[in-house]
Amino acid sequence: MTDSDQGSERVDVDRQSGTELTGSQRTAERRAAIALAVAIVAGVGLFVVYFSGGQTQVEGILFAIAFGGLGVALGIWANHLLDAREVVEERHELTSGPAGRQAFEDALVQEVGPVIGRRSLLLKLLAGAGGALGLALLLPVLSLGPAPGNSLKVTPWRRGSGVVDEEGEPVQLNQVPENGFLTVFPEGHEGAADAQALLIHVRPGSLKLPPDRMAGVPEGTHVAYSKICTHAGCPVGLYRAESQSLICPCHQSQFDVSDGAKPFFGPAARPLPQLPLGVDDENILVAQGDFDAPVGPAFWDRGR
Amino acid sequence: MTMMIERSLKYVDERLGTASLARKTLRKVFPDHWSFLLGEIALFALVVLIFTGTFLTFFYTPSVQEVTYNGPYAPLQGAEVSAAYNSVLRLSFEVRAGLLMRQTHHWAALVFVAAIVVHLCRVFFTGAFRRPREVNWLVGVGLLFLALGEGFTGYSLPDDLLSGIGLRIFYAVTLAIPVVGTWVTYLLFGGEFPAPDIISRLFVFHIMLIPALLLALVGVHLAILVLQKHTQFPGHGRTERNVVGKRLWPEQTFKSVSLLLFVTAVLALLGGLAQINPIWQYGPFVPFNVSSPAQPDWYIGFLDGALRLGPPWDLTLWGFTISEVFWPAILFPGIAFGILTLWPWIERRFTRDRAEHHLLDRPRDTPVRTGIGTAGLTVFFIMFLEGGNDIFGVLLNVPVETVTRILQWSLVLAPILTFLVTYWICKGLSRSRLRPAEINAGVRLSRDHDGGYETVSLEPAEGEEKLEPAEP
Repeated sequence: MTDSDQGSERVDVDRQSGTELTGSQRTAERRAAIALAVAIVAGVGLFVVYFSGGQTQVEGILFAIAFGGLGVALGIWANHLLDAREVVEERHELTSGPAGRQAFEDALVQEVGPVIGRRSLLLKLLAGAGGALGLALLLPVLSLGPAPGNSLKVTPWRRGSGVVDEEGEPVQLNQVPENGFLTVFPEGHEGAADAQALLIHVRPGSLKLPPDRMAGVPEGTHVAYSKICTHAGCPVGLYRAESQSLICPCHQSQFDVSDGAKPFFGPAARPLPQLPLGVDDENILVAQGDFDAPVGPAFWDRGR
Repeated sequence: MTMMIERSLKYVDERLGTASLARKTLRKVFPDHWSFLLGEIALFALVVLIFTGTFLTFFYTPSVQEVTYNGPYAPLQGAEVSAAYNSVLRLSFEVRAGLLMRQTHHWAALVFVAAIVVHLCRVFFTGAFRRPREVNWLVGVGLLFLALGEGFTGYSLPDDLLSGIGLRIFYAVTLAIPVVGTWVTYLLFGGEFPAPDIISRLFVFHIMLIPALLLALVGVHLAILVLQKHTQFPGHGRTERNVVGKRLWPEQTFKSVSLLLFVTAVLALLGGLAQINPIWQYGPFVPFNVSSPAQPDWYIGFLDGALRLGPPWDLTLWGFTISEVFWPAILFPGIAFGILTLWPWIERRFTRDRAEHHLLDRPRDTPVRTGIGTAGLTVFFIMFLEGGNDIFGVLLNVPVETVTRILQWSLVLAPILTFLVTYWICKGLSRSRLRPAEINAGVRLSRDHDGGYETVSLEPAEGEEKLEPAEP
């Protein structure tokens, strides 16, 4: 226990070797040895497993045992076999002190001042050259992508584009049964991310759309909306036929198909744009034009 | 043997003069407390990430070129998939130990971010960020951001359906940046989603740019730690002027290596036994397909939840649009992480405490800071829960709308409540004068300036009761 006389007495910190082990140390040493032996066995086991074709679960377990065995051994060593004494170390001043700072400041004035102080014109030009070159070096960044231009506001849908499914097969009137829906694309652009639309066969008389938009709904039952959520762009893949609502599985925005796909719950703020449809002479669905608004999530110049 | 060591030491010292520095380093003292190991867990998870990740790069193909899958996984045979997806399937099913490496890598990434977050909480709640450690706080917050970026880019590389959807949402978020969003998005993604360059760009970010910054900052983080010496909890013999603990050699070295081995063991066990990110079940990325329910890795959960909680308010000003995505996914994280980054300076403005601190606060002694911290964690936790609103809806058999409504109200009320309760608990604990048991030896060694050691008695500090050491 505490003895104030020891306060000034120097002790040798080197771990004394060759001292007698106590009983608990002997136990600890035995345990560490067992842990290391287990690690060796697991390591050998890994060879066997690997060369006999590999097996993920067994490999994981053996790796864990090998690493764990080593860890246990070192842990025991640290806790029981080391002369683990608490040690006090003095902190040193973090700062160089006022004198040190002053000396550096003087050095700056003496060494740096004379070099650049009398060359103010050159310095200004140096800054200018650095700036110009710096900006020019940023130019390759512009090569990373095309100018956005109009690309976010248009899709491949054109007046007269045939409505096809993902395999490219034309879609006929009444091919989708009532209460059913189908992901459709413009002919020649199957799978196009921005053109994906949902063709929904709604119950007759259930649509509440203004006349100009009803003109794009063949038979009053075949309505098509963009499949890209206006919130964060996920495909709006879930349809509840009984309530005629679309649900985005990512953030649960819900859209009322009967009422122009207006959002009625969740984070989406804008309706899904409608794709105006018509029918050709062979009862095949065709588009009357592009969507009535930019598809997908909002962007800065969306309304411009 | 001794001869050889002597000669090689002489060789190095004569050229680099490192002997006395090395001797000092061996004897450097680190305080001993379990919570000081949290950062080490992050470091060791990073070690595992580097080794497993290097292995993965030898097999991964960063390309969206279409190929036909004809490997051993029957359900996908003949499917048109991207070269990236194909290479990850090959790695998982055909490369020996490949699946173990891949799963261990993924688990290590989850543990890496988790350990960083818990370490950050320890630093925050104990006031370890105070002067002179504000700079290292900044470095640490930078490391957190890099870790999140590293996680997200890595998660997106397999080009599976789930991560493709995540990428699509990220695209919507960058589009929502006011003024420059469209341009930033096109430069980053190489055009309208899904532009073919994005996978190879993510790969460069994931294996070169972010890791290089990450490792550089880890170096700075540790260098500053060594330079400033570690903080310590108050206790007998511990002052603002000293460090009481164990020496780097042998105690801390043994403990740290032991911890490294344990972290590796746990990660290998998880990687071997706990299936993670089974991309063959999600299927390849197809831009018009989606899976449900869809949850990202845990550390992106709060952001996904924020998007689910967000109000459906978009704004049109002079014909320009501010997306509804802006509020939850840009403004909220901007403010939250802004406060986190600037916290040392924000707190100083109120406490006017400019003194140097090497002794840590106990959370109960700073009830306002502790309350703000728990309130902030509550905000993130509610958002994280909302990220699984569809799962909770099914589990609890309530409509997903109800879950969202409840969590929207909680987001307003719960942080206030958490603050008040935390404050009250802290005050109560402080009043009770209960102190955690301290295990101190009666005698300590003290290191003097020559590098020698002295024994120091442990007289109780003035005004304190003398505590009996728990161990002789």
